[in-house]
This record gives sequence, C-alpha cells and structure tokens, in this order.
Amino acid sequence: MGLKPATNPDVEATPIELSIDGKSVTAKDGVSLYDVISMTGKIIPAMCYHYTFDPFGSCGMCLVMQEGKKAPVRSCTAKAAAGMVVRTEGEDLFLARKKAVEKHLSVHPLDCPVCDADGHCELQDMAFQHGVTNLANAKQKFIPEDTRSPVLDFNMNRCIACAECINVCKDVLMIDALQFMKKGGFSQVVPKGDLALDCEFCGDCLAVCPVGAITNKFSKYLYKPWQMKKTTTTCNYCGDGCQMYLETKDAEVVRVTSPLSWKNKWGDRSETAKGHGGLCVRGRFGFEYLDSQHRLLQPLVREGDRLIEKPWLETMHALVDRFTEIKREHGADAIAGLATARCTNEELYLFQKLMRTGFGTNQLDSSARYGHINFVLASKHAIGLGRTSNDWEDLTKARAIIVIGSNITETNPLTAVRIKEAIRVYKAQVVTLDSAVTNMAKLASHPFLIRPGTEGIVIDGLVKAAIVYDLVDEETVGKHPRAFDELKAALENLSFEQISAQTGLAVEAFKEIATIFAESPRSIIVCAEGIVRRTNGYQNVLKLMDLAWITGKIGKAGCGVNTVTEEPNEQGAVDMGVAPEFLPGQARFDDSAARDRFANAWDASLPSVESGAHLVEILKRCKSGQIKALYVLGENPLATFPVSMEVRAALERLELLVVQDPFLTETAKMAHFVLPAGTYAEKEGTFTNLEGRVLRIRQAMDALGESLPDWHIMTALANAMGCQWDYQSANDIQSEIMKLLPGYYNLGQPRKIVPVLDQYLSNGYGSEVNARYRTTQSSEERTRPFALVMGQLLVHSGKLSAQASGLIKIAPNTGKLRMNIRDMERLGLQDGTKVRLISDRGSLQLAVQPDQSIAPGTCFFPEHFNEPPVKDLMTVSVDATTGVPTFKHMWVSVEQV
Amino acid sequence: MSVAALTKKLLHAALFYEIWDAMKVTFRHMLHKPMTFQYPREQRVIPDAHRGALGLLRYDDGQERCVGCDLCEVACPSHCIKVISAEDTTRPLQRYASEFFIDITKCVFCGYCVEACPVNALAMTKMYEYSTHDKRSLLFDKKRLYDIGERHLDDGKKYLYAHNQEKDVEQSREYRYYFPQSIQKATQQPPKHLS
Repeated sequence: MGLKPATNPDVEATPIELSIDGKSVTAKDGVSLYDVISMTGKIIPAMCYHYTFDPFGSCGMCLVMQEGKKAPVRSCTAKAAAGMVVRTEGEDLFLARKKAVEKHLSVHPLDCPVCDADGHCELQDMAFQHGVTNLANAKQKFIPEDTRSPVLDFNMNRCIACAECINVCKDVLMIDALQFMKKGGFSQVVPKGDLALDCEFCGDCLAVCPVGAITNKFSKYLYKPWQMKKTTTTCNYCGDGCQMYLETKDAEVVRVTSPLSWKNKWGDRSETAKGHGGLCVRGRFGFEYLDSQHRLLQPLVREGDRLIEKPWLETMHALVDRFTEIKREHGADAIAGLATARCTNEELYLFQKLMRTGFGTNQLDSSARYGHINFVLASKHAIGLGRTSNDWEDLTKARAIIVIGSNITETNPLTAVRIKEAIRVYKAQVVTLDSAVTNMAKLASHPFLIRPGTEGIVIDGLVKAAIVYDLVDEETVGKHPRAFDELKAALENLSFEQISAQTGLAVEAFKEIATIFAESPRSIIVCAEGIVRRTNGYQNVLKLMDLAWITGKIGKAGCGVNTVTEEPNEQGAVDMGVAPEFLPGQARFDDSAARDRFANAWDASLPSVESGAHLVEILKRCKSGQIKALYVLGENPLATFPVSMEVRAALERLELLVVQDPFLTETAKMAHFVLPAGTYAEKEGTFTNLEGRVLRIRQAMDALGESLPDWHIMTALANAMGCQWDYQSANDIQSEIMKLLPGYYNLGQPRKIVPVLDQYLSNGYGSEVNARYRTTQSSEERTRPFALVMGQLLVHSGKLSAQASGLIKIAPNTGKLRMNIRDMERLGLQDGTKVRLISDRGSLQLAVQPDQSIAPGTCFFPEHFNEPPVKDLMTVSVDATTGVPTFKHMWVSVEQV
Repeated sequence: MSVAALTKKLLHAALFYEIWDAMKVTFRHMLHKPMTFQYPREQRVIPDAHRGALGLLRYDDGQERCVGCDLCEVACPSHCIKVISAEDTTRPLQRYASEFFIDITKCVFCGYCVEACPVNALAMTKMYEYSTHDKRSLLFDKKRLYDIGERHLDDGKKYLYAHNQEKDVEQSREYRYYFPQSIQKATQQPPKHLS
C-alpha cells in the first residue's frame, strides 16, 4: 500500500482539511484516514493496525462511512484526502464491525482459558465490546502447533491473519523472518520457507500479536496477564537503555514485555524516531538469571581452600578488620577497587566515594576502561563533550551514516533498528566499514569489507580524500586555517595506493565515502568495538573527529561522531568518576577547583593526584605486591583477560580479595570474601545510556536470600571504616548527586552541549596530527595468515548472559571456531573438523564451523565463552594515552589436526 | 389491688400454677418425635446443592479434567486458591495444573470457583468433616483434592447437576468449551460435537 506518513524532515507536508463526524479536521497530506481519525482522539477498533508500519487492512474492523460510497470503507488503507466527509459512528457501522468479529471468531478455537493471551487479547476485547454471544457455522482449523523454534511457539489455530507479526518483522526490524503460507486451507504465518524459525529472536512479533497465536516458550502456561506485577524498568544488557516491563509473580520473574505492544497502537510513525519501543532477544528472553539457582544467597568467607557460608554480621566484622589492618600496615595505596558498569549511577558514585574517602585511594576503575573511555577521552579532548553527541532521533533522521568497526546489530540491536529505520523510512545512505560481513552491511547502501585491524588506516584515507577531493567545509576550516594547514601537511606523506593496498579498499571508494559523508546535510559516524577496543583507539576516534571537523559536521544539528557501549552504564561509570582521571561529572582529578569542591562536599581530603591507577596498572601493582587488597564490584578480570596478563598470579598475591557479585564468578572463586549483591531487579537507581539519557530502574522484587543491593553493602562498609554516611535509600544518594552535579539527571533527556573545537585546534594540534597520521608500516612480515577476532554475539552480553538459561538455549556455546566457508574449503575442513589454532601466545585444539558473516581470512570466536579458552591466545597491548587494554584481535594460523 | 385479683394470685401461688403451665409444654413434647438427632451417631441427609468441601474431578477414563486455566483463582473472593500450571510434554497443547492448592480455612463456600471452571473440574461435595489438630493439613493440595473428588464423585456430579452445570457423562466432555485435544496431525478427525 505504501502509505508513508509525511514525516520526512526535509519536506513539509501540505495540510488538508476534511470533515469527521461533522467536525472539520486539519491533517497532513499523505497519511491514512485511520491516522487522521485517531489523531482527533476517536478510537475505532482495528486489529491489524499498528503505527510502526504501513497499514495492512485485513481485519475489517476500522470501517467508516464515507460520503459518496455505498458500503463502509476500511479507514486504515484509505488515504485521507481533502474534502472527505466521514462518519465513524452509527448502528450500521457497529453491526458491520460485529460481523467482522464474528467472522474471526468463527474459525477461532475459543480455548481462552488455556491461552496465554487470555485477558490480554484484542479479539476477546472486541467480542466483548460488540456483544458476540452466538456463532453460527463455527469451525475449527486443527493445525498442529509449530514448536520447532527454541523461543516461540506458533499456534495457528488462534491466528486471525492480521499480519502484524510479519509487518513488524519486515517493516520495522528489516529481518523479514515470517511469511504467510497457505496450508491446510488456511493462510498461516510460518517462518520463512516453513522451516524452523531462525532469526534475531527479538520477539517483537510476540509483542504485537493481538491474540495468543505466538507464544513465548520460556513462560508458556506459567501465568495469566492479570496475576503479575508489572515494573517499568531499564534493560541491563547493553548501552541502548531500552525501557521494558519486568513481570513478576512474588520472587519469580515470569516474562518481560515491551512498550511495543498491540495495546498501544495509535501514533504517528515519526514518533518511532526516538525508538519503536521494542526489545531485543537479550532484553526479552534473557531474564532467567534474575531468579537463577546459581545466585549467591549468603556471604561467603574463605577458610583454607573452601568458601564457607557465614552470616552478614560476622562477615562484615571480619572484612572491616582486614581492611583496617591493611590500611594501617601498608597505607591507603595498598587498596584498590574495580567496578562493573552494570551497577547503577548511584552505586558507582558511592563506589568512587568509598574508594576515595573511605579507603583514601585513587586506584579505582570500571569496565568502561575496556574501550568506552577511549571515546570519552578523545571526544572530551576534541570537542569538550565526554559522550556521544547525537541521540537516537538524530540517528534515525540522518541522511548519511558511516558505521565503522561496529557490528552494531550484534552489540546494540536497538540502535541498529534506528539505522534500519533511517534506511527504510528516511532513505539514508549507510556506509559500513568492517572486517566482517555484518548484518548492517547486508542492509547498507555502501557496504565495504576491509582487512582486519585496518580501521585506523581507512580513516586516514577518508580524511585525505576529503581534503584531496575538496570536500572540506570552507567556512569551518576558515576559522582555523593554521590547524587545517597542519592537518594537510601531516597527510602529505600518505598515499592512496599504500592505504588502498593495506586496507583492501579501492581508491575510488575513499572518494565515494567521503563525498557521501561531506555532502549530505545530516551525517553521523558510529564507531564501536572495532575502533575503541583496538590498538590506537584513542587516536582513531580523534581522526574521526578530524574528518567530521573538516567536513563541517561538528556542532551542526544532527551531525557528529558517536559510539555505542556494551554495558548498560559505561557512560554513567565515567560520569560518576569511577576512573582515576575523573571526579564525578567528568571533572579532571587534577583540577584543583573541582578537587576542593568535592573535598568540601564530602568533608574529606582526596588522595594525591599522582597515586591513581587504572585497570591495567592496578593488576600490575597487585602482581608486584604493591596493592594488598582489591575490592571487586561485579567485575571479573580473571575470565576477561588472556592468560598472558597473569591475572591469576596477581590475584593470588593479594592479601585480601573481596568480590561483590550476584554470582560466584571465576574471580569470586579466588576471593577471601564474597558478598552476595542484588541484581538490577532488586534495587532502585538509574542508568545513563549511550545517548546520555538517565533512565530509571525500579525494584521489581524482593532481594533473593540474604543478598543486598550494592549501595547498601557499600554504605555499611563505609560506616564501619569510619565514614559518616547516612543513606537510607538510593534516593538519598540521588539527591546528593543532584546537589553536586546540577542538571545531571535532566529529566531523562540528554543535555545539549555545544561542541567547542577552539582549544583542541589551537593548542599543539600540529604536533598531535603529525604523530597521528604516521604511515604505519604494515609490511611487517605476517607469518600467520588468519586474523582471529573475538567479539560479541547478538544473543549474549558479557559473561552475564551465560547465566540466563533461555539465552543459552538459543545460542549455546558451540565451542567451535567460526570461519568463512571458502577458507574452510581451501583448507579442506568440514563443519566440526578439529583444527589446531596457533598464535604467538600458544595453541589449542578446537572444532570449526562455517559462518556466513565471517569474511575470508578471518576467524571468530565469541568473547562470552572461555571454553575452550581462545582468549588465552591473545596478546594484550595497552594504549599509551588512555590505558585501554586491547586483546580482541590476533594473527593466528589454522592447521588441521 | 382488687379482691378478685388478690384471690387469683393467692390461688396460683398455692397450686403452683406457673410450674403446671410450663410443664404443659414439656408433657406435650413427650408425645412428639424428637426434632434433634444424635450427631455423630446419626448423620443428616444433605441436599444435592449443598456447598461442602471442594474436590477435583476426573473424566470417566481417569484423565484429569483440570486444564490449569487459573480462572477459579481469579474468581475466588477470599483468594484461597493457587494454581500452578504447566504444559503436558507428552501431549502438545495440553495445559494442566501441575500444582493446585485450596486453603480450605479461608474458603467461604461461595461456589464461584465451580461456576468459573470451564471444564467443570471443580465440584463441591457433601463432605464437611475435616476437623484436625493440625491447621496446616487444611491446605488441600492437588492429591488431596483429587482424593476428595474420587471419594465423593457422586456428590460432585449431583452438585453440578443441581447447579445446572452438567447433566450427564455425555455432556461432561462437551460443555461450554472444547479444548484442542492434542492435535498431532493436520488430518485429525474433529470431535463428535463439531463434525
């Protein structure tokens, strides 16, 4: 039908006037009649309509009488035109709609009592509203249930063929995994090709299904919708910060539902620019770890080589004694702390306050150090804004998007949906530059495959192309002529031929990409793990900033350089000052004015400027024996770092290792004290997502066993260490943050900060760019032919998702190395053949499997699993400026055993 | 006081009139059959519509009627029912109650749960003697409820009949809802009442 609403930001729709129920209404040209009617506040029943996609018109409920037509018309598929006279109410329309309900019900099984949608079913509501009590000629479909997929069951007896599932999958998510198929005399929804469903499993089809035709295997028959407590909260898997409803029955999490639902179907399609309200597979089906059997319920204390359950009081007394003893004997610098970015802002704030005032040490870090801090420091250095500069709406409405070094569908699925909408609705040009055939590359207008590890060189080429082909914005560059000359001079000795040979991209491609980026009115760069988690991440982000600067895309509305975060609160961890270089609010730790302000507010003296240490340095100091006590808040360095980092030796050397975690992680198994912490469902707080929006999480259930929220444990610990903390709830911490960082919460909206380039471009820019655009000699003889990449899978997030049994059922650890099928053929390998994987660090044996998304010359292993320990083949290199450890990329050879 | 009234009063006092007057009732009742009966040696006849302890019923072939739909739970005004349902893995599409609890101490014997039941799995029986020393044993679980249902099957059926819910065995499978009976293949014969 193609009734695209007139939401294009470049074109103003012409207003039209029509009459609805005798009232004159003004509407935008090009929208459907149903949209116009629902805009006036009238609700006409419609079972196949949803505002996120084009109307389908199969249910026959949205009937209206149009003047000049004899029969009622379907308003959803009728285009609103000027001068229409429409009637939406009346006995005749009621009876016509009732007939439509009867038509649907006559082939419906009426098994409501055993249906999962009972009480949350549009057909039920409609039958009730229209008073359908008698059905003549009722018949049954008798279709067996399709239970082949690991996640969703399709009961096509209940289907009303509204096609909402098919439309949302095709139109909004661009996955297109479902289709209609005529089987047994009925049109049925089946997975593409009538095979077992194998898709991204986002479950949005489940959310929009108005009846119980699609049901969730993980909570099937466990509930009736009215029995559950619904808590609006924020997902804690990735930095997208999706809002979701956690539905619980007492201490049991039954299911997760999304704001996207058949229940809220009215709206303008342009509203989806801020997010369509759906979830991804992790958010919707990864809830089972919350009430898992493996949760820690009691504090554990080491006795010999065993961890013994002890009551809280005894544990805390012993723990505080050990901390005080170590502080007295070895000084405050013998204590360090690591926190995970899965904690709330309030807890991270409390963590750094505890470290800095309670223990008096600046040796603290968070998991933002694994990459995100590269972006924060580079962006802060260049434009004075330590986070992404664009929100989801900018991303949706962009005209050109460069996605570089990011498998965005796998890491941040809902941000990827924004780009998909940019492609589909707003016709954006998307350039992907990655060493894998990512999902986004399959949808993008300009997909480019580059050699692994050459993202930085590609950016060199783009910056050079922008200058050589005169794509620079004269006005912006004219403000800083000296800086521009310096940049030009630095790029002199780079040649396209060399760059092209190194990256595997044609010379013309650089011109094409730079032209697309420079010439479109709203251009956005998204860089992620391929940039910030690799060597030279800091410099490469700055190169992207240079590219955006010379093309005039910095400070312009809807343009900017962005990143995505893997953990929900990496941005918050940096904002709250869980990094040795930052105080809360990203004030520099060596900034004396800020130091005084926080010292006064906390009524304590801050540790000295030089003593700070970041993640890698902390582990080094642990190994050298300088640090005696390590307080680990949800982090798991032992399972994250390659064995060459010698984390185990470092942790064994410690006199006191305290791990606070909901699960007994590898690191926790080595600890002297393990404190059971609550998950995000058991506490209040906020997350800061990748846009910089502060989102609430709310308590959905009571803490399991004797576990406690992290802030509660930290407050108790601080008070025992002699602090005078008086926090009764997360709210108290929040009000303290509000006082210290005015406007941080900002009602959940990202604060608009105007980027300033002046300082960056005027102070020592010349020497910086000279160092940055050095020709990298790739002629280093590579003896090993394959690039081994470790990265994220769509279904998993960190090590946490491995605790969610549902996600493990969807994507178990195959323990196999993923390779391109052509490489496998070349080496004579079959699926499951054992190979020896050899790197400079060692070798191991594992089986291989083909994977379509892996480029030739590359092999991939998911970073979520350590069985077999592929991560131990990696070498760790540490960024000189930011201290970010990179260990996700390695040259290896593959030999058949 | 007049002389006549005084004389009457004296006469009543002398002849113990009030006692004879009261004993009149006693003597009259000696000639009647007694109204009371000797519980527990004698049991009372209870009408079919009586609301006693709840029991779960089975079909004649021994299959559990309950489909675990939780509707009794939501109908219960005193929140004394708890149903935990699951899918029967051997028979696809079959939902059943894996656990079923009725806290009979909280039950107000309103019979709403029986009315709500779409398959007439619940019925009230004439059983009312379940006093115990241990209050905990009054939380009837699934096994106990099926035991009651089995022992008082006739009572349960009579109750359903008296409340116009189910007339006979034939109807017991074909009342308000027909549930898909384990559709295994597309060409399965539809059940009798639908063909």
